[in-house]
Amino acid sequence: MQEPMKRHIAPLKIEKGNLNFHADLYYPFQHHLEMSPPLTPYGIKDDSMEHTETPRAVFHNYLRAFYPYHPSGNVSPSTVTLPLDQGDIVLVHSVHTNGWADGTLLDTGARGWLPTNYCEAYDQQPMRPLLKALTDFWDIIRGGCGFPLNDAGNQDLVRGLIAGVRYLLQKSECLTRDCTLVTSHDGLRRNRKALLADLSSLVRTTKRFQEVGSSSATQEEIDYMVDEMLLKAFRIVTRGVHFLDVWNEEVGLSRTIAELEQQPAHHPGPLASAAETGPISEAAASEADTERNESRLMNASRLDMSRASARVDDSPQTRPMSVTTKRISISHRVSTSGPAAAVRNPNLASERLNSAYDAFLGVLGSFIGLHLQSRSSTELVVTTEQAVRSCRALLTVVEATCEHDPQGSGLLEGARDTMYERLSELVYAAREAFRPAHSPDDELVFLPDEGKRLVDAATDCVRAAGSCLAKARLMLEECGDFELDAMPQELAPAPSAVTDVNKTPQPQRTSSLPGNQNRPQEASLRLPPPPLQIPNSINKRYSPPTPGLTDDTTPSSFQSRAGASTPATDMSSFPSTNLLSSSLDKLSFSSHHTQPIEIPHRNSQPKSDVSESFGRGVTSNGSSFTFNSRLRDSEMSGVSQTSTRATSPDIGNHYQVPSLKGSISHSTLAEENEETEANILEKTYAHELIFKEGQVMGGSLRALVEKLTAHQSTPDAMFVSTFYLTFRLFATPLEFADTLVDRFNYIGDTPHTAGPVRLRVYNVFKGWLESHWRHDCDNSALEFIVGFANGTLMGTLPSAGKRLAELAEKVSKVHGPVVPRLVSSMGKTNTATAQYVHPDTPLPPPILGKKETNLLKQWKNGEGTISILDFDPMELARQFTIKESRIFCAILPEELLATEWMKKSGSLAVNVRAMATLSTDLTHLVADSILQLEEPKKRAAIIKHWVKIANKCLELSNYDSLMAIICSLNSSMISRLKRTWEVVSQKTKTTLEFLRGIVDVSRNYAVLRQRLQNRVPPCLPFVGTYLTDLTFVDHGNQALRNLPTDEGEMAVINFDKHMKTAKIISELQRFQIPYRLTEVPELQAWMQNELVRVRSSGEKSLQTFYRRSLVLEPREAPQQPRNMQPESSSSSILENAKDKFDFLSWTHPSKAKSVATNG
Amino acid sequence: MRPQREYHIVVLGAAQFVQNVWIESYDPTIEDSYRKQIEVDGRQCILEILDTAGTEQFSSPHPPSYTGRFQPLSSRPHADVGSLFRELYMKQGQGFLLVFSITSMSSLNELSELREQIIRIKEDEKVPIVIVGNKSDLEEDRAVQRARAFALSQSWGNAPYYETSARRRANVNEVFIDLCRQIIRKDLQGNSKSSDSDRKREGGKRQDRRKDKKRQNRRKGPCVIL
Repeated sequence: MQEPMKRHIAPLKIEKGNLNFHADLYYPFQHHLEMSPPLTPYGIKDDSMEHTETPRAVFHNYLRAFYPYHPSGNVSPSTVTLPLDQGDIVLVHSVHTNGWADGTLLDTGARGWLPTNYCEAYDQQPMRPLLKALTDFWDIIRGGCGFPLNDAGNQDLVRGLIAGVRYLLQKSECLTRDCTLVTSHDGLRRNRKALLADLSSLVRTTKRFQEVGSSSATQEEIDYMVDEMLLKAFRIVTRGVHFLDVWNEEVGLSRTIAELEQQPAHHPGPLASAAETGPISEAAASEADTERNESRLMNASRLDMSRASARVDDSPQTRPMSVTTKRISISHRVSTSGPAAAVRNPNLASERLNSAYDAFLGVLGSFIGLHLQSRSSTELVVTTEQAVRSCRALLTVVEATCEHDPQGSGLLEGARDTMYERLSELVYAAREAFRPAHSPDDELVFLPDEGKRLVDAATDCVRAAGSCLAKARLMLEECGDFELDAMPQELAPAPSAVTDVNKTPQPQRTSSLPGNQNRPQEASLRLPPPPLQIPNSINKRYSPPTPGLTDDTTPSSFQSRAGASTPATDMSSFPSTNLLSSSLDKLSFSSHHTQPIEIPHRNSQPKSDVSESFGRGVTSNGSSFTFNSRLRDSEMSGVSQTSTRATSPDIGNHYQVPSLKGSISHSTLAEENEETEANILEKTYAHELIFKEGQVMGGSLRALVEKLTAHQSTPDAMFVSTFYLTFRLFATPLEFADTLVDRFNYIGDTPHTAGPVRLRVYNVFKGWLESHWRHDCDNSALEFIVGFANGTLMGTLPSAGKRLAELAEKVSKVHGPVVPRLVSSMGKTNTATAQYVHPDTPLPPPILGKKETNLLKQWKNGEGTISILDFDPMELARQFTIKESRIFCAILPEELLATEWMKKSGSLAVNVRAMATLSTDLTHLVADSILQLEEPKKRAAIIKHWVKIANKCLELSNYDSLMAIICSLNSSMISRLKRTWEVVSQKTKTTLEFLRGIVDVSRNYAVLRQRLQNRVPPCLPFVGTYLTDLTFVDHGNQALRNLPTDEGEMAVINFDKHMKTAKIISELQRFQIPYRLTEVPELQAWMQNELVRVRSSGEKSLQTFYRRSLVLEPREAPQQPRNMQPESSSSSILENAKDKFDFLSWTHPSKAKSVATNG
Repeated sequence: MRPQREYHIVVLGAAQFVQNVWIESYDPTIEDSYRKQIEVDGRQCILEILDTAGTEQFSSPHPPSYTGRFQPLSSRPHADVGSLFRELYMKQGQGFLLVFSITSMSSLNELSELREQIIRIKEDEKVPIVIVGNKSDLEEDRAVQRARAFALSQSWGNAPYYETSARRRANVNEVFIDLCRQIIRKDLQGNSKSSDSDRKREGGKRQDRRKDKKRQNRRKGPCVIL
């Protein structure tokens, strides 16, 4: 993921001292940019808006900071954040789902992460061409496709910027120096001048660049010039923004006021008229994709904006126009949110869902926008009708999804019913507010108080719709996407109808006039409100279509006029009122809506949990935020292999479902849910998690438990198994159980997720008791678990409580796991991982002749002696392998935790230590068998035999025995036996050298690791490498990580360390599959006897061996070259490099090379 | 440019002397985790660090047991007379870091056995060795007085002694540079074809001189011992 990301991100390379920008302050951190954004959760408007994701390569948008953002210290050491001042303009490269955006500050060229909730989208219409030009400019220069030096397009790029500036000046009526505005407003004149100066500077630089480009210039020079051009382009845009600010302040406001006074005369200012015509629709067409992306962002920040407006009103002198322009941009986004849907199969449920949701939100958005101000009754009728209509479209999809619900869990039904309720409230509110038209005039308005109720109702609708969407997607994720067949026409207008209308709003825009006087359909609109039928009962299925205005004959112009509320319509129809209201009504609006505005911020939704659950299965075109798809992908790949034993109950499944259903319906029935519904997901510890590249790196216990029992997605298998394996290293069993119960309890505050979460909590307990219970330490928590099972759990999920109590009972009686662990499955072949061997395939017959059998018999009776030479090397290798494999397969994962096997006393790692002992015994047996013989020739024969055995061990993939034998043959007491090695055949030496190369320690056992990587069991890996790895993971990683929080640093569990540990252990477990070999008890008995014999000499054995070695072949004079020892030490490599070149090429290729070059 | 030199350093001793502890997430399973590049007297050297941590029980002697299973004994003496498995590492090594923990006297005592094994395997009394007293950040738990360590150093022909804190990254590079310098010098001596005894005598002298200087430095202040 790094490669394309880097290419894409490359920050400006600003040369120190050359420019007055302080970007170089941030430049040193550029390598951090590929890391994940800070984890401060983004305030979310409702619980699903931002979950739709469409991986997109490039996403451009401009944000403007309306709060200063100056993080005290970096949010995390691996993250570069971008400090913002109010009014700063940022070019956004991507927006992470958690609300942080990767952006470049135009002011300085610095790049980093910034919180989007501190910003508003900057999309002022007169600036649009200029912004677009800058985006293109950036794309070409930084887009990664290489920058063609002599590309004629370069000139066009600058032209784009020039045209953008020109457009801006034109729209602001400041094109020439002699314009009235320019001459009369000093501020405008100065800014205009500065803007043009910057532009000419860029043109000059570009010219120079093109000249240089045609000549020869170093890459460095070129890079520098490119950066310079980019910075100048940024500067131009910054100037442009500033210019527009001044214009708005000095000209726009006074015009607006003037227009207000002239009402109803319509004289839209230059901005409004611009919005009305060409550029918008043009942009809408050309940038449909991008716009669509942005639309969600805009929707999402809608509520924010109202707050922002309030703020702006407090200090109107700073940026008075921003309110108006914001409205423009929002509405515009909404209007163009439809088209992109066409790309995909529109009949897919997820597609329908998304488009219906988008349309509904668009309608609601304009509904809120419109009714914040006093409106005509007619409009109320139209917009309400539109809201109902689009809501029905959404509900139709939801209904269809409900029918596909495989488990009938009732989750979605609950959300849907809530949606109905909210919608009916909206309609009632509209009815209340409506004043029957006494006169044919449309001038009657309703009062702001009623407007508040309307807006409240609409806001609730937004939230309910979000919840619906989230549930529906979850459902689609579970049951798979499906195609909706022809939707019943009378039930709801297809969402595409809405979007189609949205696509073509221009005729109405241009024709409509303030006050709606000239609309031909007006008569029909003056009718009293139709009896909109909204289901009153939550259990009622969807009701028949509403008559009257909602029927399909309603002219499409109405829909677009009233519902779609494109910017043009807003602006052109009500230029005066709109402006007035936006400047005057804001305060009241924001005071009404502090509640819904604040909620999202309190929610502090975790970034990944939700998004990952929607990441797969649902092909979403909703595309709210672009996100780093590579990051996500890595996370998803983990998620996709979910469903572990622990989380997918095999036994309890059938009776859990009804109980879950019960709890859900119970909770939806409760009236006070309205209150808690608003606080969905409020209680979460997700901010206490540390992520990196989609992986949980650390977190507090409660946050990790929350992740373990996340309702949105089935937890990652590796995460779950790591938890079970290692939680005792960071929590006591009782703490773990307590945290789980706590999770079970606090999720009750959020009814719609309580069901699945509680089920997961139960599953975690179940998996723990069934397969991961450790009697040595977990029993302390048993009583607590029984209490929970019989108490809280029994009360909520009776059958689950019963089951858990039974399990606990069983655990208290049985020693050992109730359900045998999957991995250490001794005695049976796991066909899933091992080479497939048909169970009926006979085991290979032992290579044991009559002679050998007789010898063993005699030995058993105490007659005669046997040596290894009496047996076939293969058979000996097999019997060693059987012996060793048996111990290896018995190793329990907990033996490998926290260097348990290293404990000097009371170690639980009996099998690991038995492995070590067996290896040691084998090495000693090898040494002993060689050193007990007097004649060099006989010793050489034994050596030859051991080399053969070692080679057979390799054939059997028994690397552990191979290592032991090589260890011994390599040891100084054997290798120093010069006279012996003289009579060892070259063939044996070559084989030995080959084997030595396999177990070579160099490059961190690169050869051995490579061989094991793709090895299919049965295989006996060398346990030592795992032990070393585990030791270093344990010692090389801290137990805790620091998580920066608002109140300073917080030490959380370094879960990454445990993940690494679990990964190594699972690698080892992969090989815990027994061999299919025939055991020869007589031979085993003899081998065991031999091993015990060498062991019995105890600590002294090595000294004894060494002394024996010295006796057999006394030391020679030290100056004699030791070139007879093929394995002689590498320190003297320069002395006898040539002698050993062949051998060493196996073991030290790099060194051999350096010798060759040196010598 | 001079060719890069590559040396094998073997880390031995009780205290784990983990490299790269400062990195955020240490993964020992990758090849590079045991490689280290340092500059010694203007020369780039690649060190491959071999560490047997975690495998102390392999091929080490143990008390007799007839059950076929290892019985954990609380009184099991830890002193390894010599481990055949460790010999694999030792044979590869050109320089040796003998690490003990300043908080454990027994960890110091174990070093002598290790040195004997090294000398036996390398058949060289003057094999490059550096004694490392690790965990210098735990001064309050110090169990090994510096004088003890210096005494050991003297008895080993003035093998350099450093006190380090792997956790705080204190003095770690210095240890490797010193060891590397010793190896380079030995290489050069090997090339000069001087006779074995001459080399030893000469090398010893030179080392003594250097180390006298070093020791003086050490005693002057805490610049080496942190």
